[in-house]
Amino acid sequence: MSVKIAVIQFPGANCDLDAIHVLKNVIGIETDLVWHNHFKESKYDGVILPGGFTFGDYLRAGIIAAHSPAIDEARVMLKDGRPILGICNGFQILTESQFLPGALLRNDSLKFVCKWVNLKVENNNTAFTNKMERNMILDIPIAHGEGRYFTDNLKELEENNQIVFKYSNEKGNITAIANPNGSMDNIAGICNLERNCIGLMPHPERASEPILSPNNTEHGKLFFDSMVEFIKRRTS
Amino acid sequence: MRDFNIEVIIQNKEMARDPVGETIRRDLLAKKGYKMVSNVRSGQYLRFNLEAENEDAARRIIEDLLNKLRIFNPVTQNFKILNLKKGN
Amino acid sequence: MTKVKLNGEDINIEMTKDEFEAVKELLKKEPNVTELGMFDVMWSEHCSYKSSRPKLKLFEDAEKNYDYVLAGPGQDAGVIDIGDGYVLAFRIESHNHPSAIEPYHGAATGIGGIIRDILCMGVRPIALLDPLRFGCLKDNSHSQWLFKYVVKGIADYGNCTGIPTIGGEVEFDDSFESNCLVNVACIGLGTKEDFQHAPSKAYNPGDYVILMGGSTGRDGIHGVTFASRTLTEMSEADRPAVQIGDPFIKKMIIEATLEAVKTGYVRGLKDLGGGGLTCATSELTGSGDTGADVDLRKVITREPGMNSYEIMLSESQERMAFIVKPEGLETVLDVFRKYEMSFAVIGRTDGSKVLKVYDGDTLVVSIPSKALSESPTFKREEKRPKYLDKLLLEKIPKRILSLDEIIYKLIASENICSKEWVYRQYDHEVGVRSVIKCGEGDSGVLRIIGTNKFIAASVGVNSKHCFLDPYEGSKGGLVEQCGNIISHGAKPIAMVNCCNFGNPEIPESFWYFSKSIDGMNDFCRDLRIPIVGGNVSFYNEDEVKKTAIKATPVIMIVGLIIGQENIITLPFKEEGNEILIIGETYAELGGSEYHSVIYDMEGGIPPKVNEREIKKRWDYIFELYRNNYIKSNHDVDKGGFVITIAEMCFKHNLGARLNIKDYNSNRLKDDELLFSESVGRFIIEIKPADHDEIMNLAEKFGVYVKQLGTIIDSPELIISGFQSKDIKLDLSKMKSLYDSTLPNMMDI
Repeated sequence: MSVKIAVIQFPGANCDLDAIHVLKNVIGIETDLVWHNHFKESKYDGVILPGGFTFGDYLRAGIIAAHSPAIDEARVMLKDGRPILGICNGFQILTESQFLPGALLRNDSLKFVCKWVNLKVENNNTAFTNKMERNMILDIPIAHGEGRYFTDNLKELEENNQIVFKYSNEKGNITAIANPNGSMDNIAGICNLERNCIGLMPHPERASEPILSPNNTEHGKLFFDSMVEFIKRRTS
Repeated sequence: MRDFNIEVIIQNKEMARDPVGETIRRDLLAKKGYKMVSNVRSGQYLRFNLEAENEDAARRIIEDLLNKLRIFNPVTQNFKILNLKKGN
Repeated sequence: MTKVKLNGEDINIEMTKDEFEAVKELLKKEPNVTELGMFDVMWSEHCSYKSSRPKLKLFEDAEKNYDYVLAGPGQDAGVIDIGDGYVLAFRIESHNHPSAIEPYHGAATGIGGIIRDILCMGVRPIALLDPLRFGCLKDNSHSQWLFKYVVKGIADYGNCTGIPTIGGEVEFDDSFESNCLVNVACIGLGTKEDFQHAPSKAYNPGDYVILMGGSTGRDGIHGVTFASRTLTEMSEADRPAVQIGDPFIKKMIIEATLEAVKTGYVRGLKDLGGGGLTCATSELTGSGDTGADVDLRKVITREPGMNSYEIMLSESQERMAFIVKPEGLETVLDVFRKYEMSFAVIGRTDGSKVLKVYDGDTLVVSIPSKALSESPTFKREEKRPKYLDKLLLEKIPKRILSLDEIIYKLIASENICSKEWVYRQYDHEVGVRSVIKCGEGDSGVLRIIGTNKFIAASVGVNSKHCFLDPYEGSKGGLVEQCGNIISHGAKPIAMVNCCNFGNPEIPESFWYFSKSIDGMNDFCRDLRIPIVGGNVSFYNEDEVKKTAIKATPVIMIVGLIIGQENIITLPFKEEGNEILIIGETYAELGGSEYHSVIYDMEGGIPPKVNEREIKKRWDYIFELYRNNYIKSNHDVDKGGFVITIAEMCFKHNLGARLNIKDYNSNRLKDDELLFSESVGRFIIEIKPADHDEIMNLAEKFGVYVKQLGTIIDSPELIISGFQSKDIKLDLSKMKSLYDSTLPNMMDI
């Protein structure tokens, strides 16, 4: 049984080719780069919404892409439980499409930040974290200007265990210094109630090969390995 | 001295491009059934609450601070005072 | 401005009366206003290089003399064959004058422009580098404002287009206060096939001419000729000549262009930059030896009622011109339709060798295609400035501060401190190629996925050195930039330059340019590094204050590393390892940070370059690499070798114990030894067990190498062997000063 994934190429996406490279060359699964207007959900077991500046981030990051027909297609996948990963701008698109709750606002420093951070795994029971240990500290880079997570319903997220990653320091402490953008509660990534859809601001596709990591780690790979595992379990 | 409430809109000059407005019209409105919208311009909204002798003085203060502190970019933008009201 | 009579009317033009007569000669008639406007723009300094071409002819023909150089100077970018079927395109450009007026949009459109130049070669832009210069920041809100918004402009545009900024440099000096320098460089990667589809010439009659991208408006008409005038009171009124870029459309243009090139039906590509449609059509037909019919009514305009003059001279951003084979027209247009890019088929090439522009049925322009690119050149006078003799003899007053106090001041100084404040704002990892990232080393290193090859690139020059001696200074710039990539294990394979100078009509200013070109020429011929492109920005001079910038011939070097195991990194690795210095230090404090930071001095004798010596050192280093002897490497730069060693200690919190007594072959004073910026020196880390072999090889290669000391576990720099007493520096304090200078100044 072969796994087939789509990476949606919205106008202005930048990290689509990076995601393709990791899925094809590092993980080794069949992956298509699909132009957003051509995307049909029935052909795929999972979908990635990559990072970038879709539509220039004009008006609000992710809002114009949220109106693309590709999102209507992806909504079918959301409902039937197939894995959906939104990375950075992809996360912004998922919140604007209301696949996930909350919103991403401008970093509190008002500046774009590109650096490696640590994430603490809060929930390892999702489509993209089943290969991780709970409380594991991940090494992974961020690069964004609008990554400050905000929700007016934090209590609900906590009660439903929808917070998947938090910015932490190397030791796993959730501190203000470890928070690169002012996100509420240091939230870096969340999931939907059904746990098949995840959005996060950091870039796992940039952390999947030791040569690119300052600490020679490859924690990004765990996301995609988890996705393959999830698909295999679903279809068996 | 009285309280005043002043609303200001900052926009790109007419002859300067407005990529945000253009993209909203072309990639969102025109595709989603709003072809009748021929032009969209974007801008920033600011509201100031201040104390001044009278309306003219209040207006002068706003124009002064917008210009001196370069709150709008005179190379590419202009500003319009939308509303000047006496505050509560 | 020159006043001439055109059709009985008085008209103001930028060109000289002689140039006006030359135009009439070429056309054998009086030009109309549109035609004259086209010549005025194309023969401006910025477009025609009329003052610099005579000098630039000195460079050897890179395409002829080096078999791996596929495109040399004169083309939109230099292109080199790097094997495995891949080519690398790179170029560097300036956007100084617009950025001085409007830093955010000026810098952003500068990035937009350089990306287009690379795209014209049919390859994907994969990296940006930005060498910048501003007035000193301390207590200068104007310089801080320029710095802040230039960086933001570059960041926003580069990040949005998904091209990582992998390197650059910033220099601060009072001479740049009214004339900041914003140079931008771009590297592109593609297959040899892609490049062959995209020469910037329309060499086949009968092909279609297509305009794609943004629409044409009244932006920047005369933006180019403005760049050839110096900044004066006029600048306030000139403000409209700054355009607003659209990086989102640029990104779409990149994808659409690359996909169109891959169809195989594109025969020529040109971007519309300075000089707009005039420049693109004339250069395409001129270099391709063809003519064309162009209909302005077909051009998509953003504003109503644009006349032929305005359309031909508009500099609206984000536009590309394509020359397409007739049989492939619909295929190429389908690509544009997929990306929803606006396009217009505006004409066809023919064999007439004349550029004919129509407004519907009316012929409005008829100019021989080559005429616009063949401006007369000027032989400019050069004269060595009188002030140099006195300046070179300047000596410091008696040293009052202790050596360690000086070192703490230097590590915190604007030209030496950490530039993290800048590069954190750039996405330097998009594209998953960045192996050595900003702040981690002397140069950026990118992998080429699917091969075992890595590209290293570095950009910069020392303007304080060039000010005192432009010949030695530009050679020094080459040594420095090559050193930056050699320290990572890369062999330099090609160079491009960006020359920033004052008013070429002033003999003293032109002398700086002339000597810098001589320096580059001599060094590159000697060391066999092909010069594959260049850019010249003149008139960086404040007419009112009569201050010119310090001569700034920026150098960009690109090199290759084969095999991941051959990549060398900067930070010290292990306690107990030895610290060696390659190369002697001379009494060359002229133009050093020591002189300017501590004594506010500009003069003294600047560093000289000995090509023989430099070649020997480089060969020696590569021999050490072959034997795996070098554990870390950092070339010595501003502030001298103590700063270099401190930087190598920072990452892993190590320290060093040094004794410099044996290293003083030229019997220098303590401060001369520590702070001289003699070029071409390297600090390397080696294992004690390899010491003897390494020293033997040094003798064999005839290279001066000395052990300075050992790496220790605690963050201290202990240095003995001085004429004065030993010093002990606290590296944690040094790191803190190094890290906090820019944030303290900029983030309030």
